[in-house]
This record gives sequence, C-alpha cells and structure tokens, in this order.
Amino acid sequence: MYKALVCCRAGMGSSMLLKIKVDQVIKENTMDIKTEHGNLDSLIGFDGDLVVTMDDLKDELAPKVPYAVGIRNIMDKAEIKVKLNQFLDSKK
Amino acid sequence: MLIDLVEERLIRLNIEARDWKDAIKQAAQPLVDANKIEPRYIQAIIDNVLKSGPYIVITPHVALPHAHPDLGVIETSIGIATLKEPVVFGNEDNDPVKYLFCLSAKESNQHLEALVELANFLEDKRIYTVLDNAVDAKEVIDFIKK
Repeated sequence: MYKALVCCRAGMGSSMLLKIKVDQVIKENTMDIKTEHGNLDSLIGFDGDLVVTMDDLKDELAPKVPYAVGIRNIMDKAEIKVKLNQFLDSKK
Repeated sequence: MLIDLVEERLIRLNIEARDWKDAIKQAAQPLVDANKIEPRYIQAIIDNVLKSGPYIVITPHVALPHAHPDLGVIETSIGIATLKEPVVFGNEDNDPVKYLFCLSAKESNQHLEALVELANFLEDKRIYTVLDNAVDAKEVIDFIKK
C-alpha cells in the first residue's frame, strides 16, 4: 500500500476537491494507494511515497518528495488515472 | 449538504467584471453582505493568487476562490457567480473563467461533505447549462435541491 499526500498551499479548497477525485479514481480502479490530505506544512516529516498536487506546484515540490504528481484539471478523472498509473508503473 | 451552504442571496448571475480581481471581488461581495466573511477575506484570496498563481482555477472555466479560514471566515458558505464575459486568470490549462464558486470554510472537515457534492456537480455538465440559462438565483437553488 502506497501512501499519498494530497495537498495545495492553503489545504482548504482546491486540494480537498482534488482528494475527493483522487479517492474516487483509486476506488474505481482498485489502486493500492491510500491518501491523506494536507497543506504545504504537512510535507514536513512526510514519510509517504508520493505527493499529489496542482500542476503549478509540482515543480516546486518535486525535489523535496519521492514522487510528485501534478494535476491540471482536478475534475478530470482520466488525467488523474493516467498519472497515478504512471506512478504505479514506476514502482514495478 | 451543499444546499445548506448555498443561498439565493449568495448567487450573482451575469456579472460584468473588468478583470480577474474584479471578478473575485464581485463574486465574494455577497458573502460579505451576508456576514459569511470579513471584507479582508476578499483581499486574502487575491493575495493568494498574486503570491501562488492561479491554482484556484481548478477545471476549465471554473474558479474556486478561497483563502485560509484564519483570514476572515465567519461562517462556512459557498457563493456562486457567473460572468457575462469570461476573464483570464493566467491559468493556461483552464482559462478563461466564467463560473466562480467562492468558498469560505471554517475548518477543513466541516465542509467536506459539501465539497464532495460540489465536486460531483462540477463534473456533471448540467450545472453549467443551468447557470448559463437561469434567469434568477432561485432557478439555481432549485436545481441544486434536486
């Protein structure tokens, strides 16, 4: 089971919606990932496997985390699915 | 429930906005008038975008203006605004913005259920047709109730 942090800057709105969609995609595709939700402060001491965030934050976070996924359209389950699968493939 | 957070008086249809800042101000003003947020919350949203970029534009043509609860949220609510002419927020993927869902959330879990519903609404294209064609806020409320 991989552990993902879904986050944005404030951790209130956008990332909460993103977590909802990510959880739906994980469930529908029975992916071996569990998510938690937070803001940038949650990255301190984060020991999970990947971070899912908005695309414009991805480059900033990528050097600090094991794997970063950036989503452009957070309502687009197809995009989320492709990018989570890329993560899972990278673990094979 | 989403319907508990959206009220007729928080909805503004076909507003004319000069630019993205003006759009946010006009979309959020009903929340000030209804005592859901302090006026400073509006500036906090704008400052967030100036500082962090237009990440509040979450899906094509849709912005979710919001800031941290500490920055002037009085009560959890969601305002809805549509623009007569869409404006550019600077988000390459999802510009221009026509629909604004202005969120004031007191704490991160309280509004979760409403956000799940909102997420489902935003994915279901019918909400945009309703918003495009509604003559008044009541029509929007009636649709959300269903």
